[in-house]
This record gives sequence, C-alpha cells and structure tokens, in this order.
Amino acid sequence: MIVCVAVVGLQNNPLYLQSFTEADDALKLHYIVHCSLDVIDERVNNPKKTGSTMNETFLGLLYPTENYKVYGYITNTKVKFVLVTTDLDVKDADVRSFFRRFHSAYVDAVSNPFHVTGKKINSVFFAERVRDIVKSFGTNTTV
Amino acid sequence: MIGVGKVKQYTNVLDKPLSKGKQEVSLSAFAFLFSELVQYNQTQVDNIAELERRLEDAGYGVGVRVLELLCHRDKGNRRETRLLGILSFVHSTVWKVLFGKVADSLEKGTEHEDEYMISEKELLVNRFISIPKDMGTFNCGAFVAGIVRGVLDSAGFPATVSAHFVPMEGQQRPRTTILIKFAEEVLTREARLG
Repeated sequence: MIVCVAVVGLQNNPLYLQSFTEADDALKLHYIVHCSLDVIDERVNNPKKTGSTMNETFLGLLYPTENYKVYGYITNTKVKFVLVTTDLDVKDADVRSFFRRFHSAYVDAVSNPFHVTGKKINSVFFAERVRDIVKSFGTNTTV
Repeated sequence: MIGVGKVKQYTNVLDKPLSKGKQEVSLSAFAFLFSELVQYNQTQVDNIAELERRLEDAGYGVGVRVLELLCHRDKGNRRETRLLGILSFVHSTVWKVLFGKVADSLEKGTEHEDEYMISEKELLVNRFISIPKDMGTFNCGAFVAGIVRGVLDSAGFPATVSAHFVPMEGQQRPRTTILIKFAEEVLTREARLG
C-alpha cells in the first residue's frame, strides 16, 4: 500500500506532495520524505562504486523506517521522486515500473506551456493520473 | 518534431501501416508560427538586444521540457554528468528530435577553455527569414540558442549561449554558429571528475 508520493525539485523544494491514507499523520509522512532527501543527496554525490551506478536514475531502497519503506528516483534534471510504502514484500521490478509511469506523467505535466518550472504542479490531470498509477501498484506485476 | 519529408502514397488503404501518430509537424506551420512570434516580440521592445533576449527566453522553456521528454523516452536510465556527454547529447539527440538531423559540427574553442561551438550550414528557424540591413548582427537563431541554454541549464551545466553568423568564403549565405560558454563551476567540476 503506497502511503505517499512526492516530487521534489532542483533546490529540494517540494513540487508535488500527495498522501494516500486517511489517517492524520500526513505530516509525519512529509517529514519522512524530507529526511529521505538527505539520503538521496548522499547517494548522488558519493556513488558507492564508480562506473555503472553513477548515472542510474533509479536509486532503489533509500532507507527502511519502523513500518515504511522509502524508494527514490532521480531524473536527468535533478528532480527527485520519492515513494513511501507500507508493503513489506515489494518487488524491485514493481517499483521500477511504478517510477517509469510516474516519470511519464511528470513529463506530461511539465510539458504544459503554462507550467512554470520550479513552481508547484497544479494540474488536476496529473493528480488523477498519479492516483490511477498508485491504485494499480502491486495489484498486477506486469508493466 | 519538424519534418520536411513527403508523405508516402499507398494505393490500397489496407496496406498502410498502422500509424504511431504524426511525429512530424509541417515546416510551413512552424515557419508561420515562428514569424508571428518574432513579429509579436518586435512590437513589444525598443531595441535589438531586448528582442534577442526575449527569443532566447522563449527557447529556454522549450529546452527545459525537451530535456525531460528526451531523457524519459531514452529508456536508458542514464544521467549525463560529463561535459562531452551532454554536448554530444545536444549535438545529436536534441538536434535530431527538433530538426530531423544531427547538427553539422561540434568544435572546441581555441582561445578559451570553456567555449564550444555547434555550427549549422543553415538553421531551420532561419530558413525563411531575412534580416534587414538596419538590424545589424541580429540573429533569429537566438531562439535555438535559448533551447540549448535550457537543456544545459536544467542538466546542471550553467552556460551562456549565443548565436552568430560566420561568413564563409565561397558561399552566399553565412554559416550559423551557436557559441556555448560554460560557467566556472562546470569547468572546476569537470576537472575534479578527472
């Protein structure tokens, strides 16, 4: 069950933040996303092994907290996507395909000529697509 | 995105391949739109430098979006971190998507370490434009310069980009050169990466 997705911009400013639980701890999820930014920065600036992983877009499992797992993905323009989930047995391929579709929705939202880069994403269409992608996450394992 | 090819005629409509949708925009449509863009900006400004700046800003928005789109379509999941990498990306991939062919040449400047030049015999945007004599060195290629600046900026390589006419002996129309001058931090980072 995905509880939260976030899009964070160049200077670590939030561009889109959406939580999918009815519980009141949306703030706690925002805090988790915020903490994961540090981990992303660390991964991007000090790659563990030089060579193949230096240029990867998918960053993988960032860090597991008490009952959440946090996954990260960075695009070529240093825009980061963060995914917080409560599932314990998520497959890597699932998360990758999730991020691929999420990236697709993001590119479509940014191609809007009325969207100002660096400002929050206000597109209703984007929010709907993200909701659809989140709903179908984990229910089918194929792309 | 912009194509000048002819549409192939099939005798039997059932033989036509299923189209993936039109990947090409008609050249005349773009030429009209671009000329309107230039004319609109001309009414808003008083001098040439401001006009160039406005065209560049228009191109900047295009550049940012093109980078996002191409990196997503690439499916290679690679981020460009090296200078030569991003330059060859602009020179081939971006040019191919925008103008249907790769740029004519990519050169390193001889006077300064941080200058690179992409040249083109005739920029597609300038094809139907002739500059009046009293506008001096104005070049509508400023739009393309803005696109390149948008791509480089959002990939993390801040640079100033400008378009220039370079007269060539033996040819009537001068060649167009896009001059890219990288910021200090890019060169220090490049030196650090080895």
